Amino acid sequence: MDFFEFLINRSDDMLELGIEHAVLVGVSVLLATVIGVGLGIATYQRERPREVVLAITGAFLTVPSFALFILLIGPLGLGAMPVVVALTMYGLLPIVRNTITGLREVDPAIVESALGMGMSRSQRLLRIELPLAWPVIITGIRVTTLVLLGIAAIGAIVLGPGYGELIFTGLARVGTPVAVNLVLAGTLGVIILAVLFDAFFYVIRKLTTSQGIR
Amino acid sequence: MTSTTVNNRSTGKVMIRLEDLTKRFPGQKHNAVDNLTLDIHEGEIVVLVGPSGCGKTTTMKMINRIIEPTSGRIILDGEDVTTTDPDALRRRIGYVIQQVGLFPHLTIGENIATVPKLLGWDSKRVTARVDELLEMVNLAPESYRNRYPKQLSGGQKQRVGVARALGADPDVMLMDEPFGAIDPITRDRLQNEFLRLQSEVRKTIVFVTHDIDEAIKMGDRIAILQDASKIAQYDTPEQILTAPANDFVSDFIGNGASLKRLNLSHVSDIELTQWPTVQLGTDHDQALEMLRRSDRSALLVLDESGRPRRWVGADDLHRGAGRPLDEIGLPAGAMVEPRATLSDALNELITARYSVTIVVDAKGIYQGVVDIEQINEAIRGMRSSAVARARAGLAEGAEAGSTGGQP
Repeated sequence: MDFFEFLINRSDDMLELGIEHAVLVGVSVLLATVIGVGLGIATYQRERPREVVLAITGAFLTVPSFALFILLIGPLGLGAMPVVVALTMYGLLPIVRNTITGLREVDPAIVESALGMGMSRSQRLLRIELPLAWPVIITGIRVTTLVLLGIAAIGAIVLGPGYGELIFTGLARVGTPVAVNLVLAGTLGVIILAVLFDAFFYVIRKLTTSQGIR
Repeated sequence: MTSTTVNNRSTGKVMIRLEDLTKRFPGQKHNAVDNLTLDIHEGEIVVLVGPSGCGKTTTMKMINRIIEPTSGRIILDGEDVTTTDPDALRRRIGYVIQQVGLFPHLTIGENIATVPKLLGWDSKRVTARVDELLEMVNLAPESYRNRYPKQLSGGQKQRVGVARALGADPDVMLMDEPFGAIDPITRDRLQNEFLRLQSEVRKTIVFVTHDIDEAIKMGDRIAILQDASKIAQYDTPEQILTAPANDFVSDFIGNGASLKRLNLSHVSDIELTQWPTVQLGTDHDQALEMLRRSDRSALLVLDESGRPRRWVGADDLHRGAGRPLDEIGLPAGAMVEPRATLSDALNELITARYSVTIVVDAKGIYQGVVDIEQINEAIRGMRSSAVARARAGLAEGAEAGSTGGQP
């Protein structure tokens, strides 16, 4: 049975796993964005907290994913929960870092003139600084998404949803003809999702960035 | 004439009073601004000028409390604003900085609408105000309203910066080297435009610069600041140029105080000399006769509507016999309008053919000429009146000093 026949036979599976994988990553990216942008806003102006946050979120990324998934079984059990938590942790660094960079790169003269015109702290942040930092922040979110798509596959080790299931089933049947097809199908699924997410972020970035700073 | 212009422009009401204002930045040994007291009158442009690091920008930024004073009081229009809500205070004060700081993600219209929107104006009123302001700064609303800052030149950006600062029609404007980053030719034009605008809107303006020439041009009054914003002299440009209070001021003005003074008087302020003129089409014998009767070496040829055309000397008339007057002699250059400064007139005069500058009105019609004698006269006049005023101030100062010395 060649690979294409295999894909056609399993097309229902492929679609269902794809949706699971996308939702899993989508939820994690959303959480990482909310937490990461929040941490960035809270710390970008002061050096100490900024460095602490970057060090901690950086440290998360160095924990081997296999280990983290398994460690999270204790408190969170099996299934989607430990995977979402682990992915959120992995996703923080690019978002926090780009939020901090983006906000710090806003021209001080622009911030000063906003201040001089009587904008409050929150008005300056929401109307001036965040819109100007946004292209950098969304780039961070995009990087996070691509990283998490790959790591999410490994979440199948704790029975997480998504294409990882195909890959781990293949792993368990190494030596049989179907094993290679299973692993290839899982990998292909992740790649297709990566392309789709990338296109999605390209469009979102285009639509949400002011013409004046494009 | 000079101090009266200031008095006419000002209502005499103190708009901004700085009282014993002091700023010490954390971790520094000396005060950046030390015990500064300054009254700024309504409708005047007060220029804070001084060497870099003298505290002029810090002083200005304490007025809208971008920098909070360490001690002292800021009184705006009779109200102590030292500890009121800073955002509300800033919405009452226009703010222009050298880097302009337009919001690049917003259109020109949205930039200008910033403060009116913060103040909750309805959208109709905001739109009308934006268009009015764009016209005020000579940018056509239809073509600029929806552009983004990156599509504008430096000079246009600074115009928008001024329009934005005028957004909600504040009584007071703070301007920190607003024309500092602009090329000299555009800067000159923007300064002139701004002075014209100011003559209509009559704001109380605090203007910071390090350039004494700009200070002289823009200021109704100039505060020359030394270290820690200590006032070396606070007076009209004329007084400062003619009667510098101390060596620091003279050094700061530098060479050419007399030439700088010429920037303060206009051709319209002096009486013009008349030069022998002749109409186009006059025949040569008649022209020669006129020339003989005058004490000059050439005639100025005017066309039918009275515009200067040529200089014609006796030689030209002899050699060019039979040719019309506008084909002989030399073209009449070196013309200024009455609103030009004496400095402009002098500049033209130096290069001009018969050492005079021709003065024409806005339509180009001959009014008279200015020669070096008249410019000399004007300088002498300025000097003697300034010295007289300085001596009067000396007497007052001595009295104030003696009472101030009592415990």
